[in-house]
Amino acid sequence: MTSTTLAVTDPRRERLAALGRRAGIRLAGGVLVLWAVATLTFFALRLMPGDPVLAILGGTTGNPSPEAIEAARQEFGLDKPLAVQYVLYLGRLLQGDLGMSYSQHLPVTRVLAEQGGATFELTVAALVLAWLLVLLLTVVTAGRGRLIGGVASLLETVSASLPHFWLGVVLLAVFAFGLRWFPPAGSDSLASLVLPAFSLAIPLAGFIAQVTRESLELTLEQPFVLTARTRGLSDLAVRFKHALRHALLPGVALSGWAIGALISGAVVCEVIFSRKGIGRQLYQAVQLQDLPLVIGISLVVAAGYVLANILVDLLYQWIDPRQQEAAA
Amino acid sequence: MTDLTLGRALTPVRRQRRLSLPPLGASLAILFLLALVLAALLPGLFTRIDPLAIVPREAFQPPSWVHWLGTDQSGRDIFARIIHGARQSLLIGVAATAISMAIAIALGLLGGLGGARVDRAVGWLLEVLFAFPSLVLALLFVAVFGSGVGPLIVATGLGGAPGYARMVRGQVLAVRNAGYIEAARALGHPTSRIVLRQLLPNAMRPLVVTLTMGVGQAIVWASALSFLGLGARPPAPEWGTMLSMGRDFIANAWWLTFFPGLFIVLTTLATTVTGRYIQQRLEGRLP
Amino acid sequence: MNRPILPLIPLCAVLALVGCERAEQHAAQSTQPIHGGTLVYATDREPTCLDPHVAGDMPQVFVAQQYLDSLVSMDSHGQIGPWLASRWEVSADGLRYTFHLRRDVHFTDGTPFNAEAVKANLDHMANPKTQSSTAGGYIRQYRSTKVLDDYTAEVTLATPYAAFLEVLAQGFLGIQSPTALARSRDENCESPVGSGPFKVVRWDRQNQVELVRNPDYNWAPPTAQHQGPAYLARIVWKFIQEPSVRFASLQAGEVDVIEALPPESHEAARRNPDVDLIIAQRPGNPTNGTFNLRRAPFDDIRVREALVRSADVEGALKSVYFGEFPRSGGPLSVATPFYSGDFERSQDYDPARAATLLDEAGWTRRDSEGYRTKGGQRLRAVVLIGARTPPSELTLWEQVQATTRQVGIELVLDQMSDAQVTSRQAAWDYDIRIGYWNTNTPDVLRIIFTSAFVQPAGVGGYHQNSSGYADPGFDALLDSALATQDAELRRQRYHLAQQQAAAQYLQLTTYPQSTRLGIYKTAHGVRLEPSLAVTYLYDAWVNK
Repeated sequence: MTSTTLAVTDPRRERLAALGRRAGIRLAGGVLVLWAVATLTFFALRLMPGDPVLAILGGTTGNPSPEAIEAARQEFGLDKPLAVQYVLYLGRLLQGDLGMSYSQHLPVTRVLAEQGGATFELTVAALVLAWLLVLLLTVVTAGRGRLIGGVASLLETVSASLPHFWLGVVLLAVFAFGLRWFPPAGSDSLASLVLPAFSLAIPLAGFIAQVTRESLELTLEQPFVLTARTRGLSDLAVRFKHALRHALLPGVALSGWAIGALISGAVVCEVIFSRKGIGRQLYQAVQLQDLPLVIGISLVVAAGYVLANILVDLLYQWIDPRQQEAAA
Repeated sequence: MTDLTLGRALTPVRRQRRLSLPPLGASLAILFLLALVLAALLPGLFTRIDPLAIVPREAFQPPSWVHWLGTDQSGRDIFARIIHGARQSLLIGVAATAISMAIAIALGLLGGLGGARVDRAVGWLLEVLFAFPSLVLALLFVAVFGSGVGPLIVATGLGGAPGYARMVRGQVLAVRNAGYIEAARALGHPTSRIVLRQLLPNAMRPLVVTLTMGVGQAIVWASALSFLGLGARPPAPEWGTMLSMGRDFIANAWWLTFFPGLFIVLTTLATTVTGRYIQQRLEGRLP
Repeated sequence: MNRPILPLIPLCAVLALVGCERAEQHAAQSTQPIHGGTLVYATDREPTCLDPHVAGDMPQVFVAQQYLDSLVSMDSHGQIGPWLASRWEVSADGLRYTFHLRRDVHFTDGTPFNAEAVKANLDHMANPKTQSSTAGGYIRQYRSTKVLDDYTAEVTLATPYAAFLEVLAQGFLGIQSPTALARSRDENCESPVGSGPFKVVRWDRQNQVELVRNPDYNWAPPTAQHQGPAYLARIVWKFIQEPSVRFASLQAGEVDVIEALPPESHEAARRNPDVDLIIAQRPGNPTNGTFNLRRAPFDDIRVREALVRSADVEGALKSVYFGEFPRSGGPLSVATPFYSGDFERSQDYDPARAATLLDEAGWTRRDSEGYRTKGGQRLRAVVLIGARTPPSELTLWEQVQATTRQVGIELVLDQMSDAQVTSRQAAWDYDIRIGYWNTNTPDVLRIIFTSAFVQPAGVGGYHQNSSGYADPGFDALLDSALATQDAELRRQRYHLAQQQAAAQYLQLTTYPQSTRLGIYKTAHGVRLEPSLAVTYLYDAWVNK
């Protein structure tokens, strides 16, 4: 028998392939974006007032001798013309060398390695916690009537309006200073992660919940849900298994932005709760005018954010490939 | 007419079963915002006490009939400072949003009207700006240009610009091929007039809601920067700065931190609720 | 070698003399010290480098005191005693110091301590590559060290320097292993090696430094309370910047000792039965605003005194620091050797006198806002405020600003980044500069008020003398105080120096620097070493 040329492809495999292609394109775009980011930060920070050599050699209390200044200038390549510095800078970047921090006299990569873990921990914990809160609140209360819905909606709106720095201070005062349920500082234990994670998660949960609730309510009125109900599935099963997958889409799209907001929030929360992390490092580096550290952290944050957005985009596609590319 | 066409083109079909806050909430929010604007323009109506008057003897007074919200570490009345701070905060919020919009309109028009290649370039530029979380972008800006109210406004404006720019660009793209635009072009109206009188107003209308909420967001961002000590410096009565100064005393005198923060929350809440209400009214005009 | 151990009671009495306040029971005699255990210590600032030779700020000396020994020790009377050097001779012309060293000391990396080590350390401090602001600044007169034999070192100075032994007792000039010093500066910053009762294990940036006991330690100074290895097995030296968080950690028992106890929490700490306080003033020049004499309006001594008289510093200290910080009226703090109390009242609040002085100086007219003017110029003074000035300091100056305004002087609190403060300071573009200087010798007056220190020390432009005061008589007086070893002569000369500095109104002194420790009930034997009032954990033990 001649085999027909009817190619019966595995739909799943096709989807994966499509995803893969998309990932490839996005990653390539991401690299270009990162290059632009690196260039932008390099030139922007060269505009900073104050002589970087003096900043390197000890700031306000150092009394560097002329020899020390000349040595430092050569060591950091600050005596060469700007264009040459830029090319050298790019070259070092490609090799993974982010330079030496002026304030800590350590390679920037080392600072990032030591501090990055804590921020990553905090961001992930906050995101997970936020989603837990969202699911809990929306799945349970969506479409149950005006009063419950109104109250839940109010709760969400208020949560979304809470600035995380104020919430952090309030939580610290009540739960750490007052009730002493959690330690007021530290980066090591799980207990020390709770309050910072909550102060980031609650406002975020408010945002995502609003969007997800709307979407869930719309979905619950769709015909296929009605079909599922008539087949005898329990209400909760209907909500979780069928409606949720479709309803999650706007929330997932928002998660990409959310990660950026969480990183911004981490800067403040790490300061308030005295946690290790690149957020607090960035803040101190800006205060001390430590160029390489500011650039290094910005780059890593940008890279992480771009990557996170790509992942979110892919996740979005995976959950529902029928969606067109989101215009916004 | 144009509104209807635009409305139908852009807003997805929505069920009116959407749960919302009753009009009571919206009225409260609008009232609050009006009171805030009034406080910004005429602080004397709300308080007679000088927000900068230092009275060491009366430091750390808890809320009382004399000092409604208590006093701070220098004996300054907190309610007075919050009222005068309303001007600072609103000014920063509105100015920053204005800057965001200016950048967004420029980029959005460029991208929407400039042709495919320009549009790709603008889109790519937006991606680059988007690669930074907003606070990081603001921090970079402050690192270069120093701290203070001026850089604070620009930094906050920059932080919000990418989001708006994307929206404006999307709107412009959607609107530029609408019937009435073509009609205007066929009638021979100059491009600038078409852009100014027809394109831009219709593109921006759905964004009014976002703008309203955006002012609240801008106030929060600016407060965050001041909280970190990179924005308005003490003794300015800016709410974020007040929050930061009060942080050390939270165990002894919680009112230093609580009330400025409360007002930030209320302002954000009010702008959000007002924005949603406006949105519903706009949609409500659908048949 | 056995050294007599100072009994606790006279020590307490003497500490009371130098303004120390100690709350009761935790004397080491009441219960037996427990060997082993970990003490958790929380401070507010992280050092920039663990080697105190490099740069040299207070956080560095606090942590280095636990793992470095000094050549000599200083007790609470200001007397110099032996430590790593068991005895010494000073030549008649004051230029050569011959140190006879202990023979039983070695560093934790095995290197023996000998005259070569002393030479390596002093050379390291004086070497410009080390970039030593503090230690190097203190031994400007250093020329060289000659190794006479293994345990005898002869140090040669360029000019007589009676304060040399005093500065050698400071932790800033602690002795490190020469093998370790031979490494790069950054490497030594990470993990310096000393001979002290503890050694550095790891520096976890932004978080803590981990120290463990040195089991071979057997050469404690006479100011210590026991001999032999330390009681504690381990110290965790944490950095918690936020004052409220630091205090809350203490109250919860999460840390055993905190430093820089916030003034707003003193009351709560006193009321808490689980917490003890140790508060001691540090020697040196108190926190102050130094006037720039090189330009108007402070080139006129009457205006300087008028500003001092018009500032209600006492009132401000009561409110900003809850009455916990006393007022410093003279140029030296109480704990400084050869301090004289005669000048404490020279800066008392007296607005009437301020007004008279300003009238005499010609600032008689007033402008529309109530400030005095002369020849069309308003009487104003610019104060430099850096970005990392603590908010309490700013609040203090705001209140000073409010009181000087009543007499008609405008104080402008100019806020800017630290880098800008440095450049303005270097350019002499300020009227008042906020500062302080912690040191265990009255020779600090020479560093901050003589003409030798008006010139910039390095290319950065920073000059230790921020006032610009350059009086040859004053220079000669302070040099003469260095030229003699006779304590009585030094006392007289430093008395004259304090008198002149106070009479010239070169600074508005506010409050003395102090070390304030909060100690949880689990920790015992925590003390302050006498020279700089630095935390000393050698005699400490924990009971958990």
